[in-house]
Amino acid sequence: MFGGLRERLQAARNRLSSSIGAVVAPPAAEPVVTPPITSDVSTEQAKSAAPSFVDKVKVLVLEREFIVSDKNIAEALSELEMTLLESDVALPVTDAIIAHVRKSLVGKHRKIGESVDAMVVSALKAALLQVLGKGFDLKEYITTHPRPVKILFTGVNGTGKTTSVAKIGSYLHKQGFSVVIGAGDTYRAGAIEQIAVHAERIGIKIIQHKEGADPSAVLFDTVQYAISHKIDVVLADTAGRFHNKSNLMNQLEKIKRVMKPDLVVYVDEAVAGNDAVIRAAEFDRTVGADAIVLTKADMDSRGGAAISIAHTIGKPLMFLGVGQGYDDIIPFDPAGVVDELLDGA
Amino acid sequence: MMLQQYLKDYGQQAEIFVEQLNLLENGRMEAFAAIEALEAMVVADDNTVLLQIGGGASVRAKVLEPEKVLVAIGAEVVVERSNKDAVEFLKERIMEMEASQKRVSETLDKLRGQMTEINKRLEYGYQQSMAGHQEEE
Repeated sequence: MFGGLRERLQAARNRLSSSIGAVVAPPAAEPVVTPPITSDVSTEQAKSAAPSFVDKVKVLVLEREFIVSDKNIAEALSELEMTLLESDVALPVTDAIIAHVRKSLVGKHRKIGESVDAMVVSALKAALLQVLGKGFDLKEYITTHPRPVKILFTGVNGTGKTTSVAKIGSYLHKQGFSVVIGAGDTYRAGAIEQIAVHAERIGIKIIQHKEGADPSAVLFDTVQYAISHKIDVVLADTAGRFHNKSNLMNQLEKIKRVMKPDLVVYVDEAVAGNDAVIRAAEFDRTVGADAIVLTKADMDSRGGAAISIAHTIGKPLMFLGVGQGYDDIIPFDPAGVVDELLDGA
Repeated sequence: MMLQQYLKDYGQQAEIFVEQLNLLENGRMEAFAAIEALEAMVVADDNTVLLQIGGGASVRAKVLEPEKVLVAIGAEVVVERSNKDAVEFLKERIMEMEASQKRVSETLDKLRGQMTEINKRLEYGYQQSMAGHQEEE
């Protein structure tokens, strides 16, 4: 997962480390040129000329530290910027990461012997964690909200929405929650059979109507079933649709009015890169989205969508789909992803 | 019935992966063509290229600055690169696409393996039922 991004970040990390590492101790003669450090007059002059000058001289001569300047890392940061953009990380997100890394590193005092790499990795990690957000703990959400928790899944066609509904159903079932699935995709031929087979395989009840039926009615029935049978979670599948098809988007509005979902989850594929981010933003604007699921993350080498989506639309990433099996879905753990990208690389 | 649905399911998934493979292959071929054009542009004497304008029609056009190339690097960002750097960038993208192709192909093979397995079971079930019929007769 995100192998290309990992390699690129490793290169950027090395570049940043060597840029900072290059700020080696100046020749012994150089600091000696600044003897007036003990002179009050000179110190006063230095203060008025440049407030940080005394500090710089002090750390250079007395404490043997170095201060990382903007100039030291400008080139490496520009390379990092290109690296992120080439990995399809959205521009505002790239800017946020660069700004964070710059803020963490510039002005930092580095003691001789202190690991530059550790300093860079910690800055990169903090920057990535800032844009990745906190993720979304579905288990905790369900346990802290009145049951049934109603989750509506939306997204464009062919991104793996129905399979994701089944995978999340299986995940929640294994966590001890009772689940019912509403076969709200009454539009695509064979969609009802598809989700019905999934439900049978994982041992979850499904509510379905005929093909072409009103999805709002199916999902209303599903919620009613969940209430009367004290089911913990309702997973509502819907037909894939593009955000620019107003009739289908209106249908989604109606579904929302009828079933009153607690969570609207937007599903897209990680391999779509920046397109997924743009579409998620559109869906969020039109029908709203509370959390995101990215499928096919195992096929995605760049990782741009996963890095950008939470920061761009301000909604957390909940799950990553990483394969064909029902268990191939992992709750999104920002710290875990960052560690995988930067540790041991 | 259930097996047939499995088969249909896998078939649909396989179609999506085949589509993805085609997209990757198109991207790879496009990148190769671009590299060829960029390299040829530098060695050509008078910077003249054939510019396709659609519908199979082309015109001769002079490239003003063959050394400066605008490249879409991702995230909808276009940057200016030197001809050499642009070629390098495209080569890296080709490698990336080839790695993705490999991964998608592996998944596709796995799916096809599962489909073959299901087909075998269906065939076996069918033969069993036919044998049962014949015995009854």
